[in-house]
Amino acid sequence: MPKQGHIIIRGIVQGVGFRPFVYARAIAHGIRGSVCNTGSEVQIDAWGDNFDDFLSDLRKGPPLSTIDSVEVHPLSGDSPKSFHILKSHDGVRTGLIPPDIATCPDCIKDIFTPNGRYEGYFATSCVNCGPRYSIIKTLPYDRERTAMDEFPPCGDCSEEYSDPFSRRHHAQTIACQICGPELVLHSGTGAVIKEQSPIKRTAQLLDQGSIIAIRGIGGFHIACTGDMARTLKERLGRTEQPFAIMARKEWILDNTSISPDEEKILQSEISPIVVLDKKDPNALDNVSNLHTIGCMVPYTGLHHLLFSYLSAPYLIMTSANAPGYPMITTLAEALSKLSRITDYYLTHTRDIMNRCDDSVIRKGHIIRLSRGYAPKRTKIDLGNTAILGTGPELNATVTLYTQGFCITSPHIGNVRNPGTYAYLKETTSCLCNLMQPDIKIIAHDLHPQFLSTRYAKELSDETGALLVPVQHHEAHIAASCQKECIGIAIDGVGYGTDGTIWGGEIFQGSAPHYSRVGHLMPVLMPGGDLATIWPERMLYGILPDEQTHQLLLSRGWKEQDLSILEKQVSKRFNTAVTSSTGRILDAAAALLGICRKKTYDGEPAMKLESAAYGASPETWEIPLTRIGTAEVLDTPSLLKQARDRFMSDPKDSQNIQQIAASIQYNLARGIGVIACNAAASAGLQTIALSGGVAYNEMIRNTIRETVHKNGYQLCTNHDMPLGDGCISFGQCVYAGKKEIL
Amino acid sequence: MKISLMHGAGGEVMGEVVDLFSKITNTNAGGIGLEALDDGAVIPIGDRQVVFTTDSHVVRPLFFPGGDIGRISVCGTINDIAMMGGRPLALSCGLIIEEGFDFDTLSKIVDSMDRALSEENVSLVTGDTKVMEKGALDQIAINTAGIGVAETIVRDNGLIPGDAIIVSGTLGDHGFAVLASREEFDFADQIISDVAPLSGMVHAAMNAGTIHAMKDPTRGGFASAINEMAKKSKVMIRISEEEVPIRSSVRAASQLLGIDPLEVANEGKVVMGVPADDAETILKVLKGHRYGKDAAIIGTVQEGTGVIMETAAGGERFIETPMGDPVPRVC
Ligand SMILES: [Fe+3]
Ligand SMILES: [Mg+2]
Ligand SMILES: [Zn+2]
Ligand SMILES: [Zn+2]
Repeated sequence: MPKQGHIIIRGIVQGVGFRPFVYARAIAHGIRGSVCNTGSEVQIDAWGDNFDDFLSDLRKGPPLSTIDSVEVHPLSGDSPKSFHILKSHDGVRTGLIPPDIATCPDCIKDIFTPNGRYEGYFATSCVNCGPRYSIIKTLPYDRERTAMDEFPPCGDCSEEYSDPFSRRHHAQTIACQICGPELVLHSGTGAVIKEQSPIKRTAQLLDQGSIIAIRGIGGFHIACTGDMARTLKERLGRTEQPFAIMARKEWILDNTSISPDEEKILQSEISPIVVLDKKDPNALDNVSNLHTIGCMVPYTGLHHLLFSYLSAPYLIMTSANAPGYPMITTLAEALSKLSRITDYYLTHTRDIMNRCDDSVIRKGHIIRLSRGYAPKRTKIDLGNTAILGTGPELNATVTLYTQGFCITSPHIGNVRNPGTYAYLKETTSCLCNLMQPDIKIIAHDLHPQFLSTRYAKELSDETGALLVPVQHHEAHIAASCQKECIGIAIDGVGYGTDGTIWGGEIFQGSAPHYSRVGHLMPVLMPGGDLATIWPERMLYGILPDEQTHQLLLSRGWKEQDLSILEKQVSKRFNTAVTSSTGRILDAAAALLGICRKKTYDGEPAMKLESAAYGASPETWEIPLTRIGTAEVLDTPSLLKQARDRFMSDPKDSQNIQQIAASIQYNLARGIGVIACNAAASAGLQTIALSGGVAYNEMIRNTIRETVHKNGYQLCTNHDMPLGDGCISFGQCVYAGKKEIL
Repeated sequence: MKISLMHGAGGEVMGEVVDLFSKITNTNAGGIGLEALDDGAVIPIGDRQVVFTTDSHVVRPLFFPGGDIGRISVCGTINDIAMMGGRPLALSCGLIIEEGFDFDTLSKIVDSMDRALSEENVSLVTGDTKVMEKGALDQIAINTAGIGVAETIVRDNGLIPGDAIIVSGTLGDHGFAVLASREEFDFADQIISDVAPLSGMVHAAMNAGTIHAMKDPTRGGFASAINEMAKKSKVMIRISEEEVPIRSSVRAASQLLGIDPLEVANEGKVVMGVPADDAETILKVLKGHRYGKDAAIIGTVQEGTGVIMETAAGGERFIETPMGDPVPRVC
């Protein structure tokens, strides 16, 4: 029975209070020795009779930690008289730090404890909560390498920091009223408004109808009450796009059909935006004109304090950025970019080192991987070569693979403008700075014009790293299932290996070898990207006949414009060919008059889903055909069915609702049937599902039912977004498997 | 690999053909040679700088609103000489004609060439005619080459941070005029090609102030030209969308077809970078010329790389070199 040993614990062991945890266990078990943190390892020298009990306690780790391995090595020499925490130093880097954590219940209690040291202090935190990723400059995680280095702890804070029995023992973010970051309220012109309690004043101003930019953990929000939602939408020029709200939990329970699982995630240490079904689908349409609403609860001390003063039941809390642009993080930028939108600015004096937007989750599927989830660490063996995946163009993330782990960045946005392109580069540098990999392979999207592709090429020119282009939908499947499977990738658009635009694909294989065994019927996209902005173009591209002509005329199209559209289609002039699922949903939304112009990403399909909500679909015959060896779903004939039903009673809203449901349902059945047929002929059991269209509940559930009914398993990756946030991870998987094989 | 239409579209793909010519042993006759990939070559002869350039023309249809293949074949070469700072003196003309081509049509084309040459006082001094059997060629192709003399040579790589970017008029007119007449699109307002010889206007501008860099935005349009200038000059260019002159008829057509007016050819426009102090004076001279009425200062040159458009809505986007064929990118 060893009574002493040198213990090495690897994993996410920084920023989680691991050393104080070890210290407390050592004291409890009468262990002498020391603990120190070296990057992704905690090293412990331990002597004592209760060594085994101590060790088994260590294996559990503190709440925020992730333990990859625990090793015990022999230890010689004499034991010291007591147990010490040693200073961190740099070492191996596989572990990372945890993401930003919502303020814990103990800290909330501190904030609301009268006459306590933390009473009313907005940035109260402890080893179990508070910002991490958003404040770190470099590893190892210690105060001097975070944005907190500008706030030397006061006497009381230092004392608590050194107190082994405190929750803030070695809490790098420890701060209080006296020594920590402060809140400052600014007027619209940027002048400081002197206030005893800037939060209380902010709450009053919000209740009075002001629109206020509030600096949070990873960036600015724009906040206002529900009464001001329409005004804010107009000021932002985004009249259709739903807002997320922040509300007390009770209000959310009263107004949404929230499940126990959703309730749990809503108030978890992640506290993401949870997209919930409204109890009354038509309620709160000033905030969201869909049947859903994105809700979060207060997750920082600041939010809790704000809500303690606020009369309004909820606040609009939307990220301060133009759609697809990075969130604003500095007051200077907020003042220059939001001058026509916000009336006041509530800011704090702690720098945001790494931007981090709110995460979004719907029915257990991550829509936006960000605060609380990212940087996301995935254990996966892709060999010994470090790989960078530069992601797609929209809803991008980047992923770095090194030493058995993929690290996926927070949501970056739509990499199609200089600001987001710069953010893509910044995020990549940040991950590289934290992990120090020697990148030898850069995986990127096959699309030749994506900025992420351009970035991959630039980096490869600089470093000599090997470029691996990865087809977008193959990356989707590689991200969701690593074994051999049938993969369903359904989304908007991705560049196909045949130069056409894909987006409704059924593959067979495993990374890096996939064959396209099925897809949706290739249809025309007149005007290319123009057809994604104007879904009626898509409708005409799919059904270019007299009936569509008459329908569009009745919708206000000019005869002359329509004749140009017809000519464009018949001559195939600047007309792309696509098998995209999203474009079929767009066309259906156009057909039913649900959406004529796309004003935000995914709008036509989301409105179609809301229109179909609650309706029971009809079962139509699934029109299947073959192109070459691939089984193909004849989407034009599905859409024709829908049009025939629509024309029979175009004014009846119930009819429209049912057609909306039927088109989704039968499209999904068709996709499911092709996948099952492919699984049968390949003798495979698993069918993987990925792509942004799979967020559509009816489509996802219908595919699942079809797959299950035929005796197969459906596999989706719950740890990664179904949409393009998973692409960078899939690119790494693909490139890594290619390298290994 | 087989040559595709993209290889002649003036975009990135064309670079693959251009690369082939890097195999040529001698590409420079003492001044500016092929390696510069500028609008033309410069050859010092005695104490004079001779500008030499060539261009082949295969536009369809042969006659379109505002011009025809004859006018283009003359203007293209005159403009390339002018873009180097040269005064065009003389052109050659090589005709390749399909058997059965209508003689009257040819005569109209030649008349049109003559009018364009006369406008700028340029001579056509030598020529060649070949006829190919029916089917071996679609109607007609015209090559012209030309020489001129330059006192001041203007390159396409001379932009300096602080310069103002000027365009001499509305962008996209030629490209949309030709595609509308070729594809028989019936737009509400007819779009007329801007094809014009520019040496007179360019020299008036050169007399009014300093021009650091100059290029005619032909194939690949303004997007291609401005990127080439930025890349070669190793600078960043910021363009203000609101200042870019585009005819409402062209804008309407672009919104119906999904084609960016900045990515289609112009045949009577010049893009120049001039010192900020000279910008207004040069602009005034351009505006006073019949081919420069709609000239505008549309951007500035900064340190950095790339071309950024500041959009009317307050955003930013990159203006990129077109591939040659638009590919949808929305997901
Ligand atoms: Fe996708
Ligand atoms: Mg030229
Ligand atoms: Zn806490
Ligand atoms: Zn303190």
